[in-house]
Amino acid sequence: MQLKNDESRYGVVAQLFHWTIVVLIIVQFILANRAANLPLGVAKIAVLAQHKSFGITILGLALLRLIWRWMNPVPAEPLGIPQWQRLAARVSHIGLYALLLITPVVGWLMSSARNFPVSWFGLVTLPDFIKPSRPAYDFLHQTHEVLALTLFCLALLHVAAALKHHFIDKDNVLRRMLPVKLKQEPPRS
Amino acid sequence: MIAKSHRLAGRLVAGFSAGLAAVAALAAAQWSLQPKESKLTFIGVQAGAQFEGSFDKFTADIAFDPKNLAASRFDVKIDTASVNTQDGERDTTIKSADLFDVKRFPTARYVADKFADKGGNKYSATGKLTLRDVTKDVPIDFTFESKDGAAWLRGTAKIKRLDFGVGQGEWKDTSTVGNDVQVRFALRLKGAP
Repeated sequence: MQLKNDESRYGVVAQLFHWTIVVLIIVQFILANRAANLPLGVAKIAVLAQHKSFGITILGLALLRLIWRWMNPVPAEPLGIPQWQRLAARVSHIGLYALLLITPVVGWLMSSARNFPVSWFGLVTLPDFIKPSRPAYDFLHQTHEVLALTLFCLALLHVAAALKHHFIDKDNVLRRMLPVKLKQEPPRS
Repeated sequence: MIAKSHRLAGRLVAGFSAGLAAVAALAAAQWSLQPKESKLTFIGVQAGAQFEGSFDKFTADIAFDPKNLAASRFDVKIDTASVNTQDGERDTTIKSADLFDVKRFPTARYVADKFADKGGNKYSATGKLTLRDVTKDVPIDFTFESKDGAAWLRGTAKIKRLDFGVGQGEWKDTSTVGNDVQVRFALRLKGAP
């Protein structure tokens, strides 16, 4: 399969970006819930350290992914999709990309606000852009949670739309993000 | 008669030595700590990232004279419960029995009386730090700058928290919370009137 996207499908690189981020986001929700249920101790610090490292990884991958998207053609939407669906798809994709960038940044700021600076897997310590402050931490923590919940809901919608395309419309929308052959589509006029 | 003169000589010797001691003590200038301007901070490593904390309450009895290092002496007492890492939950944890155990060990103390001149305004000292009732030698490096009857004493030390038992139970693990802790101090001193 080709590395780059073409008019009909996503290439290997875009697929790897997409599915790696999917896995990391699921891991992030698991780690966040695990940390929330732990008392402050070695285990909680370790779980949160992983959560922060994966979060920064998602931020980096999302940035690279956007650059890659900009360097590649974006596969065309199937024919005959109502205008409102095109708009919904566009808005939700922008929203997903925005959340992939903003949620980790807010998490990073929130760590700084609590004077628990972020280390990326113990290799690089990220700078603190804000000073420790309890009110700032509380605000950023709430924001981080709201963003994560929004991401969760939008991702569910994204999955539902992909499944609808696959099973109801029987088009290539899901297939083109998977390492499988595309179905023959009616020729574009 | 003989007995009397002995007693007199004894008194003279005693008086003379007391006088000498007083002169020696005077020679090492006594400074008074200005707590508001002074800082005692530490840098720990948590999950690979450094974080800074401080002690908001401490006293420092500083007798220091670059020209009379032999008579110089530091005696610093730190209120362990005044630890402040800008996070209440972490402070509570640090004060708990497994770490500082502030109920049993409310005070940490650092006493130094052996000083060495490192040239310029740099000095080093080896003192004894007592933390959680464990006493160990801890060397410090510092600078001393005095001007118009006031001075800055700034320096650093490196300690390993587990040497003092700061970290019992799960906190003995050093992969999440590092063993090495840097200590930094900047003491503002005024000459005693």
